[in-house]
Amino acid sequence: MKTILVVDDEANIRRLYGEELTDAGYRVVCAASWEEARRALESDRFDLVTLDIRMGEGPDGIEALRLIKESHPALPVVLVTAYGEYQADFGSWAAEGYVVKSSDLTELKEHIGLVLSRSAP
Amino acid sequence: MPELRKDPILGRWVIISSERGKRPSDFALPQDRRKEGGFCPFDSGNEYTTPPEILAYRDNGTEANKPGWKLRVVPNKFPALQIEGALDRVGEGMFDKMNGIGAHEVIIETPDHDATLASMSPKAVEDVLWAYRDRIMDLKRDLRFRYALIFKNHGIIAGATLEHSHSQLIALPIVPKRVREEVDGALTYYKYKERCIFCDIVHQELDAGTRVVGENSEFAAIAPFAPRFPFETWILPKKHDSSFEDASPKQFVSLATMLQETLRRLDVVLENPAYNYILHTSPFREEDNEYYHWHIEIMPKLTKVAGFEWGSGFFINPTPPEEAARFLREARIVRP
Repeated sequence: MKTILVVDDEANIRRLYGEELTDAGYRVVCAASWEEARRALESDRFDLVTLDIRMGEGPDGIEALRLIKESHPALPVVLVTAYGEYQADFGSWAAEGYVVKSSDLTELKEHIGLVLSRSAP
Repeated sequence: MPELRKDPILGRWVIISSERGKRPSDFALPQDRRKEGGFCPFDSGNEYTTPPEILAYRDNGTEANKPGWKLRVVPNKFPALQIEGALDRVGEGMFDKMNGIGAHEVIIETPDHDATLASMSPKAVEDVLWAYRDRIMDLKRDLRFRYALIFKNHGIIAGATLEHSHSQLIALPIVPKRVREEVDGALTYYKYKERCIFCDIVHQELDAGTRVVGENSEFAAIAPFAPRFPFETWILPKKHDSSFEDASPKQFVSLATMLQETLRRLDVVLENPAYNYILHTSPFREEDNEYYHWHIEIMPKLTKVAGFEWGSGFFINPTPPEEAARFLREARIVRP
């Protein structure tokens, strides 16, 4: 079973993603902050990270993405954001996917499936 | 006393507040933030993070999407407009809409993370111009598109999100309003005088000399009569030419020199400013005409556009173009 780390500071989003991605057949671990995400990345093995691009505390999403890629270069990251401006930030190209935040997870699940199929050994 | 000046092409007014008379050293020039050691998807060796290249100038025998390139063009990884699909123009009551068809490409101008257009070899700058031309020629074949907008954001405050030198191209299914207004303004002048307004501007400016920044065999760099921004500079072919993509190989050599010299002048006078430049060329399907004249507009980012500008469409420029041109013309630059 593939394991996904969901990084988002909104509890409702973590709950929604947790339930829907679990139903879709993934094991899901949630982190409410960059610090929690960093600890999870050190202690567990993940197949993919969904990363909220703008969280209240810690580095911004582009910087967090850079830090993840520095420590885990092969770990795919899908950026999730409600803010369009990050789409124009070429720093986001280090991520494997970019999805605009929505309560409908169809697009996110499609991206996750696509990214995981590409990175499958 | 401040002076109101009217742009002869667009009819746009600007306020030249000459009593403020800002010299280059009067601008609080914000230094660009550089992220040391950060990951850069445009660096050689990181080709795997970009979509497959559409165009590359590379060393013989090197493989696509691998190192060994001098310049790469790739589609935007997360584009705002989609290349696939048919145009579907519909009305919703009185409102118009269509589906978001477009091409958004990134021209990665060099594998060297720290090089700039001002510091590259003249041949590398020429390659950038050839890449613009090659991509326009290719996209023109797609009948859905009406215009290819090529622009460069240099420096974070000019909108660049990476310092690695790059330009962008967005092909659109419509001619942007700003472009349409400029082309129509030129056409109106042509109907009245049977001459290209830009040709007249070039002749008059070169005769007078007060707003000339530089000149070579094929191109003139001038500060326009009614510039929106301090040190705004235009580069125009001296002979009439309506479409950038029709420029000759000799012109590309000459343009590379003129573009690089102008950027070096700005670097010297304004201490490496952030800037935007935009290639203005004729829309697709009206490329060959007598009234429009392609050119490049360079705008250093020295002032902010705020409420007055948004509300009025006027711009306040604290540096008269005659003074800006003199500072740039007299800048001591090392020629490429």
